[in-house]
Formats: sequence, structure tokens, C-alpha cells
Amino acid sequence: MAVAEPYLSPLAMAPRTKRAWGWTTAVRRTSIVDRVGMGAAIGVTVLAIITPWIAPYDPNVPVGPSMSPPGSGFLLGTDEVGRDMLTRVLYGMRTSWFSAFVVILSGVIIGGLVGLIAGAAGGWLDNVLMRITDIFLALPGPVLAIAVVAALGPSLQHTLIAVMIVWWPFYARIVRGEIWALRSRPHLEAARLAGVGSARRAWRHLLPGAVPALVVTASLDVGNLVLTLAGLSFLGLGAPAPAPELGAMAARGMPQLLEHPWIPLVPGFAVFFLAFVANLAGDGLRDLIGDR
Amino acid sequence: MAAFVAKRLLSAIGVLAVLAGVMFLLQQVTPADPVHAMLGANASQDKIDAKKHELGYDKPVLQQYANYMTGLLHGDMQMSLRTRRPVTTDLADYLPATIELAFYGVLMAVVLGGALGLLTAARFKGSGALRVVLVGFASMPVFVLALLGILLFYRRLGWLPATGRTAFTDFKGPTGFLTLDSLLAGRMDIFGDALWHLILPAFCVAIGPAVAIGRVLRSSLVGVLGTDYVRTARAKGLAERAVLFRYALRNSVGPALSMTGLQVGLMFAGVVVLESIFAWPGIGFYTVQSIPRTDFPAIAGVTLVLGAGYVLVNALVEIAQAWADPRLKLA
Repeated sequence: MAVAEPYLSPLAMAPRTKRAWGWTTAVRRTSIVDRVGMGAAIGVTVLAIITPWIAPYDPNVPVGPSMSPPGSGFLLGTDEVGRDMLTRVLYGMRTSWFSAFVVILSGVIIGGLVGLIAGAAGGWLDNVLMRITDIFLALPGPVLAIAVVAALGPSLQHTLIAVMIVWWPFYARIVRGEIWALRSRPHLEAARLAGVGSARRAWRHLLPGAVPALVVTASLDVGNLVLTLAGLSFLGLGAPAPAPELGAMAARGMPQLLEHPWIPLVPGFAVFFLAFVANLAGDGLRDLIGDR
Repeated sequence: MAAFVAKRLLSAIGVLAVLAGVMFLLQQVTPADPVHAMLGANASQDKIDAKKHELGYDKPVLQQYANYMTGLLHGDMQMSLRTRRPVTTDLADYLPATIELAFYGVLMAVVLGGALGLLTAARFKGSGALRVVLVGFASMPVFVLALLGILLFYRRLGWLPATGRTAFTDFKGPTGFLTLDSLLAGRMDIFGDALWHLILPAFCVAIGPAVAIGRVLRSSLVGVLGTDYVRTARAKGLAERAVLFRYALRNSVGPALSMTGLQVGLMFAGVVVLESIFAWPGIGFYTVQSIPRTDFPAIAGVTLVLGAGYVLVNALVEIAQAWADPRLKLA
């Protein structure tokens, strides 16, 4: 006989949020800066998706005189071999933005699973998983990522793999902490007494409670990731030469800094713009969800 | 306290042993064959086999691992494939410049971060705008900061040098730290010149960590400033400065300290990027030259040294925190 399963949604568990969620709640909780940031993040995502249709030229083919300044028929100028900077920056932003999301997603999934298993199982499994997590957390992530890419050979895929390897432990810690705090809540005891199995308890009764913290952490992390990936690309650890990657474009444009400053600076500002939008939107989402 | 310190240092050594293991694993999977790289593409198979035997690459993996670890314990980090010198020798040449840059960077980050935290914790109008400015600085890639700095202070104003550590390139001292060696030698001109070259790179290294430290310090300060004992201190007529520095700050530096420790890891990545821009002859510069040649022993050496630095700094931070707040020893 199936027993009715007591289930509390994470929204119902959050304190002091009796009101229904709607536009007014969203507006009341966020500042104007938050809303602008979140709107810009949506805009950047749309832009990244439609880049191939709106970019004026081919990113890897010279289309005009080399090193023409911004505004001279080319909105952001051309680079040292005459490729359109605007096109290349748009493609670069697309790569950066999606790469950051891929790594975040992997961090959320791997770290989330490890944290969930450790927190829900407890005992020796918790001990082993968290020791491994601690060791990873005790190492300087970006430096380790450099070594991993250097060993595998520079390419975009290898860079993403390297960053994924160093990125998940942070999420495992956070999820495990949340799960651990939820374990002693009454609704879990109720579920256990109702005969809900341990796997289902973890998935349906513990995990939803960790979601708000996970979302907030992940959204605040996008900016860091954009910067880290751009840094690795700047060091020559991204896709090989003609690929339009923002960090690599800035690095290769460095010799032109004093004569044609836009060549290294435009891709650099694009990285700044992405990280800035991501950070503002992350702050906004944190205010919206109303966690910590 | 001694037991706590011993425990922390032991766990730091454990973490470093794991890092060394990871480096060994990476060396096994890297497609770049060190023997081929050393002998060149035209070497005969006999020569390659002989060299492999000489270097122990034909032994079972576990034995290679044991050899690698004993080598590390004796300070042997294998030969660089690019410079053909022992990696340890290379690192000894490049490390002082990096330590000097990182030291001044951390110093600047702590001072700037402390000032930022104190300023923003004190309530005043326009703190919302300041928040946007801080987010802006936190979103700035280090290389953009460096390029803008060079354009403004070198190209436009001509106040600061753009590259290198010093104009006195033939000056050599016992420690390799220019600012220290020049003082020991009594050469104030070299000391000033070295500081001059340090300002821009150290500032670029410091700005990101400074914002992070400032934000953490601000939030813990705001919390402490709302407590009863601060109200009491104010009520008995203490000057606001005394309340802030003697009462509130002491109880708020803990989180800022651990943030400083964490930021050192990010800072190392920034140092690698900045050294390549400012042609700063440190291990970051060495790394950037090693990457295109897939000189893995060199990169592994740099990673081990930076990892050791990071682990050590964080162990010291934890010890400092436990010293400031004895309750942490129980955790």
C-alpha cells in the first residue's frame, strides 16, 4: 500500500516567504542595479546564441586593410591582419559565455552529486568524499588547471576539462553543508517514518532544499569563471591560433598596444563586460532568491 | 597550540604529496614524450631506448613513481626540456622575482582591502554607487588592468616603467630580492629603481584580492558594529575611531584573513599572466615560455612550488586565526 509522502517544496521551507511569488515580489526584492544586471545577462545570452546570424563578417578571414581604427567602416576596427574586430569579439564572447556555463553546469552536477551522496549517506562515505574534496580545495585551482592543460596539450576542450577538474569541489562543500543542515529537519523524519527509502529521501527531500544555495553560488561564480578562462586563453592555453578567443586575441594583440591600442584592448573590455554583467546578475539573483 | 600547529603542518604535507602524485599522473598521460623532445626527431631507436633506460622510463610505473617522489624529496625536479637544465636550477633563478612581486602584491592587497572595508562599512551616502564601482574592479581581467596601466602611466604620463625589474641589470645580491639586496648593499638608487618597477605590476596583482578582502571585511564589520558591546562602547563615550579600531576590527578580521589566504591562489594565476605582460623575470614568465614547447617538467615544477606556497600560506593563516581566536582550535 502506498503511503502518502509528506513533501515540502523548498519555497515552503524557506522562512518568512509566505507570499506568493510574482512580479511585485521580484521588484520589491531587487534594486534597479540588480534588474539591469539580470536583463543584461539575458541579453548577452541571446546575443551569444544568434551570433552566427548577426556577425557582419567571417571571423577568420581578412576583410579590409589591417589595423584600421574603430569607426573607419569597421565599428571596432580591424586587427593586425585585417579581420573585423566586431565579428571576432562577438564570436569570442559567445565562446567565453558558453564555456563558463558548461563548466558551471559540470561543477553543479559533479559537486552536487558528491555533496548529496556525502551529506545523505554520512559515515565513512561522507568522510572519504569530503577528505578528497578538502584536498582539492587546498590546492590553488587556476595553477593546477594550467598544469593539466599543459599536460594534455592546449585546446579549448582540454582547457574546459582542466577547469572542470578544479572547479567542482567548491560545490560539493556547499551542497554537503546544506544537506547536513537539512538532515535534522522534521520533514525528513516524517519521510523516514512514512517508509520512504534512502535514495528517494536524498533526491526528493534533501536535494530540493539545497537548490537555492546552489543556484546563488553558481550565478555568483559565472564572473570568476569568465575571468579564469580568459586568463588561461591569454596564456596560450585555449584554442589554437586563428580561433576568435578573447584572451588569446588580447595576448596576440599586445605588441600593437602602443601604436594601435584597440587591438588588445577591445577583446579585453569584452571580457570585462561579460564578467561585470555576470557579477551584477549574480548579485541580483541572490537578492531575488533572498538567500544569505 | 603546538599540537594544533603540528596537525596543520602535517595535513599541508599530505596535500603536497597528493599534488606531487597528480603531477606524476599528468606526466604519464601527456602526449609529449620527454625523451623524443630531448634527443630531437632524428634520433635512432637505439639511442632513444638507451636514454629511456638511463632516465628510468622503461621501469614499471610504480617504480617510476617511487623514483619521482624520492627525487622530489631530494630537490630533483627532472630536466627542463626547453632549457636543458635541471628544473630546480631554473626555478632558483626565477623564483626570487616572483616572491618579491607576490610579497608586495599581498602587502598592497591587505592595505587596500583593509581601507576599502573600513571605508565602506562606515555608513555614508553613495555607497550604492561604490558597490557598482567595486563590482567593476572585481570584474576587470588582470591583463586589461595591466595594459591600461601601461598606456596611462608609461605611454601617456611617462611616470612609470613598462617592463622589467630594474634598470640596473648587472646588480646581483645574495638573496635575489632586489629591494632587500639593494638595501643590504646600501644602494638607495637601486632600491628606488626596483620599487619604481614594482608599483604597476604589484598594483595589478593586488586589486582583485583587495576588492575581495574589502567586501568580506565590510560584511563582518557591519555585523560586529551592530552588536551590543559596540553600542556599549559608543554609549560610554569612546571616540568612533577607538570603537572601530580597538573594539570592532579585532573581531572582524577573521573572515578577511581566510579570504586573504584563499585569494593567494587566484593571485598566483594573476602573477603568471602579469609576469608575461611586464616581462618580469619570474616563474610565471618561465611558465609562459614553457607552455608552447610543452615543457611539462618545467610546468610541473612551477605548479609544485606555487602549490607549496599556497598550502603554506593557508596553513599559516589558519594558525594565525587560531592564535587570534582560540575557539577555532577545537573545530
